[in-house]
Parts: sequence; C-alpha cells; structure tokens
Amino acid sequence: MTRRLKSDLVVIGAGPAGLEAAAVASAAGVSVTVLDNFAAPGGQYHMQPGGSDSRFCKASQVRQGVAAIRRVIDHGGAILSGAEVWGVFPGFSVHAQDGEGAIRLDAQTLLIATGAHDRTLAFPGWTLPGVMTPGAAQRLAKTSGIPPGKRTLLAGSGPFLLPVANAVLKVGGRLAEILEARHLDAGPLTLLLKHPEKWPEAARLLWPLIVHRPRFRFGEVVIEALGDERVEAARVAPLDAGGKPLPEQARLVENIDSLLVGYGFRPQIEMTSILGCEHRFDALSGEWCCVVGDETGATSVPGVFAAGEIVSVGGAVPARLSGKIAGLGIVEHLGGDATAEERRALVRQLGRARRFADALHRAFAPPQGLPGNLPDETLICRCEDVTVGELRREMVNGVDDVYGAKLWTRAGMGVCQGRICGWGIARFIAAETGTSVSDLGFNQPRIPLRPVPLRVVQASLENGYSGQADGVVS
Amino acid sequence: MTRIVVNGVTCDVPAGFTVAAALLSVGHVALRRSIRRHEPRGPFCGMGGCYECVARVDGQADVRTCVTEVHEGMLVEVDPP
Repeated sequence: MTRRLKSDLVVIGAGPAGLEAAAVASAAGVSVTVLDNFAAPGGQYHMQPGGSDSRFCKASQVRQGVAAIRRVIDHGGAILSGAEVWGVFPGFSVHAQDGEGAIRLDAQTLLIATGAHDRTLAFPGWTLPGVMTPGAAQRLAKTSGIPPGKRTLLAGSGPFLLPVANAVLKVGGRLAEILEARHLDAGPLTLLLKHPEKWPEAARLLWPLIVHRPRFRFGEVVIEALGDERVEAARVAPLDAGGKPLPEQARLVENIDSLLVGYGFRPQIEMTSILGCEHRFDALSGEWCCVVGDETGATSVPGVFAAGEIVSVGGAVPARLSGKIAGLGIVEHLGGDATAEERRALVRQLGRARRFADALHRAFAPPQGLPGNLPDETLICRCEDVTVGELRREMVNGVDDVYGAKLWTRAGMGVCQGRICGWGIARFIAAETGTSVSDLGFNQPRIPLRPVPLRVVQASLENGYSGQADGVVS
Repeated sequence: MTRIVVNGVTCDVPAGFTVAAALLSVGHVALRRSIRRHEPRGPFCGMGGCYECVARVDGQADVRTCVTEVHEGMLVEVDPP
C-alpha cells in the first residue's frame, strides 16, 4: 500500500538549508513535508548523535540542529526521516521509499536541498576495505561513537579535514598523520583575520589539535593504499610545481588500519538534473551547481526551488541563508506576503558568507595534477570494476567525455550513478586529453535515482507517475 | 546492548549502532566482493551513496549496512565469511 500525501511544499533534504526553508515556509502558513534519507534529520552538519549519552550531544552544531528541527515541527511542518527519494516527476510528484514501503507526495512546489558529499579520486588500492571518505568517519563517530580504525591516516584537502580529525580523536581513535595536499601559506590565516565571526569556530576546530598534536604534513597526497584484505599502509608523495605527485619521492606510512581521503565536496544535483533545471560549472569549487535566482532561490523550472550546497558549495552558513531566502521565495510564489525587503538583507549576508567560502575554495583547491599518471590496473569506477586501462583503451577509440566513458566502459553506470567516481573520471579524461573538466559535462542521472525494489515502484506508480493526489491516505 | 548474529556467530553490540559500525566493532571491515573482480569491499562513503557496504540482512540481499540500524536478533551475512 502506498502512503499518499499532499502538501504545498515538499522539501528534499533535512540539512541546514532544507530545515531553514521548511521553517520559514511553514511559519507563513504553507503546508510542508520534509523528506530525508537518514534515520534522523540534520544532514551532515546538524547530524544528530546516536544516543543521549553521546559525546557529541553538547556540540553547537547538534544543538542548532535540534532548534532548527523544532522550528519546523512547531510551525506544523512534517519531517519524514529514513525516506529515500528515487524519482521526481513534473507536476510535481515525489516518489520515495522507507522501511514501511512506498511513499508518494504530490506538491505544488519543491525545494531541493540534497546537499553534498565527499569528493573522491581514484588511486591504486582505494577500493581496499578500511579506505573511506572523511565524511564516512565523521558519521561513524557521531552516530555510533566509534573511530574508523585504531590508527587512521587522514588526507586530502580542505578545512573539512579538521572537524573529521577532531571527531576521530573524540571517540578514541588515533591519527597517524594528517596530510593536507596544499602547501601551508599565509592565505588561510589572512582570511581568518578578516572574518572575526569565524574565530570561535576556528578555535573550536584547532583546540583539540593543539591538545593531541597529531603530525601535520602539507603538500603531500596519498598515491597508493597497500594491504591484502584491508588497508595496512599507504604510500604518500609530495607534489611538483604543477600539483602532480612525485612517486619517486614517495614515503610509506605504515601500521594503519584506516585511511580517509577526500578533496572537498560534490553537490548532489541528481534531482535538479532530473527535473531539467539549468546548471552551471562553478570554476572556484570545480563543480556543477544548480542555477537559482539570488533573491528567490527559484530554479529555471517554475515551482522548483533549490538551496544549500547544490547551488554553491560553501558549508552550513551560506546553506542556512540560501534556505531562508528560498523559503521566502516559495511563500511569495504561492501567493503569500511579499518578503522582498527581508530577502534583500539575507542576500547581503549570503554574499558575505559566500565570499568567505570562495576564498576557502581558492586556498584549498585540489592540486591541478591529480589524479596524476594512474597505472592501468587502477580501478577508476568502483561499482562496475572498470580499470584505468579499459578507459584508456576506449579513449584511443575516441571516447573524450564522461558520457562516452559511461557508454563504452560502464564507468559511472553502476548503482552509485557516478556519485563516487564521476569527478575522478572527468579529471582523468581532462588531464589525458588536455581539455578542461568544464567541457566534459556531467552524466545525466536516471530514475530510479536509488536502487528500489520493483514492488515499491509498482505500488508507487499504480495511479500513474504524476498528477495531483485525490486525497490524503496514510 | 543488542544481540545480532553475524555469519552464525552471536555478537552483542551497542543499541542504536548502524550495522556497519557493529560489524566494524567486531572486526568485519570487508563485507562483500566486487562484481567483476571479486575483490574485498567495505564501507566507503558511509552515508548511503556508494552501495559498497551492502550485505544480506535478515535474508534480504543488498542492504546498506551504513544506513541501517541493528535490532535484536538481526541476522547478518557478510562475504567473505
């Protein structure tokens, strides 16, 4: 039996952006349903800890999340957790599944706030058990209170490595080293000095590192994970002036059972892509983002709004502000009171928050030379077990973009739909062909966006895939 | 604590743990074999996006252990055993 629900607004994603938009819209009298695929709302930033005795309960991100969730519920909004969206159709109908089965929601407006996930690159051995993303370790620590291993090597680029290091230390993990790919210069410090509002957060992030003193190395990247049935060691190498790893100068980091590597974030634009919204290549973050009106959050498709990381990767502060703006934009779209003045103030704050985020993108851009000269036997697509050699062979035959790679090698065609490998494949092809990632496009996602049992699809689509619900049955 | 059975072995794990965390805490990090090369794989993205951590849970194949919570009496089968 499909649960059919109907509301003025369906929000997809209960992170900072989605929760703010839902609170603003429901406060204005809009009926709101928020869908989120995790067991508890909050997203990655406001992630709610697994138990009331968790060491993370007092963290400000957690408490802010509790407040944001409460605002939505107090204004009459509904939050459905553990509900994973596998299809979105014009009109609009949203099809999801949870532990109980199929859910179908019909809505006048949509807000897509699906956030971002870790950005990963292929390297030899990256499929070994024990190799994970930094985000995976953070989620493991916060929801279950355990570290990813006894001794962890944390690597990649960007300020996100700091909260991950802290989370690992907080739950009793040890850090072999922290490797930041970028060379340390005065950039981040100068930036911080210009933004006093960031000082408390910076102090909170840096303090545990001052106490625990893990070994920090700059200008080095992981070039290989070693081990038999799981990761046991890693080869790390410095970079040349062009940001390419120098394997001949590599050194070994031994006695690890956990390796975390991430190079920033990828926005999850599957749903705005499926809906046909316009996207742009953002050169600073190196990512495809959904285009929205600055003062409305409206996408190019009438009735579809977007906020948070999918409109511009920048973390929780801009995400919250863009969520508020989109919430007000939705209220106006649905015929509510004009909110232009309130929005203009938020747009100014958002501009400032984005400038900080953009400066961080500049300071921690992944090195240009990555992934480097990968050996043929390296797996580039994890789902379909496609090697670099197989991709190179098809490139000789004429494949020169990510779609061609998918068609001819199956790279990016597996269950992750290229979420994990897509960025690495694009960078690899760009490097080998001397083109730019922005010229290669991105793979159009396909419905079902997530694997879903056929019985759920059948139940969900028994009255057609779109059109307004005839009543609310739950 | 919650009692689960992993490959026939009874384990007590903290309540509220995800299956992936429970498996990690009892020493299972390789949870399945990849489709073409049959190489060991374990949790990777940790947030339900990569499907690397799937295992057979209560008889159902391909359950993502990273976004599924343990419950009393849960039967988990991981590969290699």
